[in-house]
Amino acid sequence: MKKRILIVDDSFYMRTMLKNMLTDAGYEVVGEAPNGQTALQMAKETNPDLITLDVILPDNTGLDVLKGIRKDQPDMKVIIVSAVGQEVIVTEAIENGALAYIVKPFSEDKVLEVVGNALKN
Amino acid sequence: MKSREEEYKEIFIGEALEYYDALNRHISDLEKNPENDSLLAEIFRLLHNMKANAKAIGYIHISELSHKLETAFELIRNKKLAFADEAVTILFDGIDLLGELINNLDQEDYQAQDENIIRNLDIIVQTGESGNKPGDKAVEVAKGPKYLNSKNIQLSDLIYIQIKKLDHLLNLVGELIIDRDRIISISKELDHPDLTSVSSHLYRLTEDLQFSVMDARLVTIGSLFNKFPRIVRDIAVAEKKEIHLDITGQDIQIDRNILQIITDSLLHIMRNAISHGIEPAEVREAAGKPAVGNISLSAQSDRDMVQIKLSDDGKGIDLNDVRRGIVQKGYLPAEAANELRDSEVLSYIFEPGFSLAKQITEVSGRGVGLDVVKNAIDSIGGRIRIDSEKGKGTTFTLHLPTSIAVKGALLFEVDSSFYAIPLMHTDSVVALDKDELHEIGGLLVADIKNETITVISLNEFLTADEKTMNLGSKAKLQGVVQNIIIVTYNNRKLGLIVDKLFRQQDIVVKALNKPVDIIEIYGGVTLLGSGKVCLVLDVPALTRYFLTKK
Repeated sequence: MKKRILIVDDSFYMRTMLKNMLTDAGYEVVGEAPNGQTALQMAKETNPDLITLDVILPDNTGLDVLKGIRKDQPDMKVIIVSAVGQEVIVTEAIENGALAYIVKPFSEDKVLEVVGNALKN
Repeated sequence: MKSREEEYKEIFIGEALEYYDALNRHISDLEKNPENDSLLAEIFRLLHNMKANAKAIGYIHISELSHKLETAFELIRNKKLAFADEAVTILFDGIDLLGELINNLDQEDYQAQDENIIRNLDIIVQTGESGNKPGDKAVEVAKGPKYLNSKNIQLSDLIYIQIKKLDHLLNLVGELIIDRDRIISISKELDHPDLTSVSSHLYRLTEDLQFSVMDARLVTIGSLFNKFPRIVRDIAVAEKKEIHLDITGQDIQIDRNILQIITDSLLHIMRNAISHGIEPAEVREAAGKPAVGNISLSAQSDRDMVQIKLSDDGKGIDLNDVRRGIVQKGYLPAEAANELRDSEVLSYIFEPGFSLAKQITEVSGRGVGLDVVKNAIDSIGGRIRIDSEKGKGTTFTLHLPTSIAVKGALLFEVDSSFYAIPLMHTDSVVALDKDELHEIGGLLVADIKNETITVISLNEFLTADEKTMNLGSKAKLQGVVQNIIIVTYNNRKLGLIVDKLFRQQDIVVKALNKPVDIIEIYGGVTLLGSGKVCLVLDVPALTRYFLTKK
């Protein structure tokens, strides 16, 4: 069974890169959410094995999305994808149950390593 | 060649220009509402994405500038800097420069006037960070010449569109072509000069429209091929083999839906090639081959077709194994199997349930056979063939239409009704004297160009009552000279006797509606210019009916 991943990022470019990296590595990308509201809805509908979550989103902050997801799906594995300079939000996200984080710009190896580790647990 | 890098670049530019437009909008709004937090948050988000994307793709200038602007807006958000006076001008200049950089991506360095903008941005950031009140700046901002090109309006040259919208457009074009042919036919009957002229103009326009819509749906094969290096590597690792993959023809264009449909098929063939085709390194070396297996994946365009080839230099297929399989699985008795030509023998590999894999491995050989691949290719009107030489390797060749909507077809008449056969499946048309047909085994056969081919009278097959149908009797044929269309499917040929041949024509095939969609031998229906209904024969189904069940 392929592991199923939901990508949450407001940039099409970032989503495309992540999606290519993940599908090439044999994961199934079950959805791409460009904003918080869609992310919450898709997390429920697709119930993926893992969510990659950008912390800066147009409607909610990524943090609110993280809290929203974990309220309904407390065991959901979430990885934070953030740029440099967002350390405060990342720390708070880890405190709120995010498993790990990836810093943009990311390398394919790094993404696969973090995702692979998260799914192993 | 459109590599993944180029695709990323296109996406980056498209998105960056979108962000740039949004930034301009928001910053103008901000000037009217300098305290609006949600506007500031949105500007910050856009610059933040711009920075991250530019850094990821390697446009350092854009990334740096976005970072400076982002920092400035962060200061404004935190009330450490006021969005007023000179800061406004500098930030506007900065965003203009951002647009200029996006539009001149390949430009190496900042222009002189850009340096001023960068320096001014640094100054306002320092002012904010040092906690000085705006106004008592330690350094005067430079008054560089205002950016000249900044007020040119630049719209993105790239849009994203859902494939279903293009599907809808193509369907409409299909309907339009049917009506156009009807109008042309009416105009010929009426023979009115004005109508003739307008209908010939209509013809050219719709043809143009059809090709434009088809063109809009084309993507490069590279978008699929470029996924293979990684896939091949993973399968090779799982199979403990070393593979060298050679890819060519990524820039060939094909309809996006066709590419979608063949994706799984190509993956399946690739898996087969690695796990069953390429031998383990020690076996290869013992056979005098290099230890590393070679697989080549290529595409080339051939008139209205695209040809995709996947070759390996592995162990090839032993025709005797296949012949044994044909007999064991009960397709043919042993004598008949031995009489098959080599190309015919190989075609049985595409029969359901026919597998040569002796060992089920991790990646292939789990019941999904090449018949699934073949069905997928058939469904889009393509062809697949396999060539193999024992010890040398195997080649799969896929002939695919570049577009799905319109097919070239041969029109003919049987019992005063019109029928069509897609040109993809027609081999040749011959006229034979009745005497050249022989009654053998309840069917008619003929020697055509040194091949013995089963010949079916379509008049008898399509019109006779089941109880009295006799396809093996020459007595049922009318006239002396018989027009025969030779169709070919999966390396097997079948002759079809028709009453009257018409012309070749591009047709738009529509699927049959319920309840007649279950009639296997028809692939669909089209409307002719005369308004007459024309059934399209499904050659794969017809050949299977006569050649595998006989």
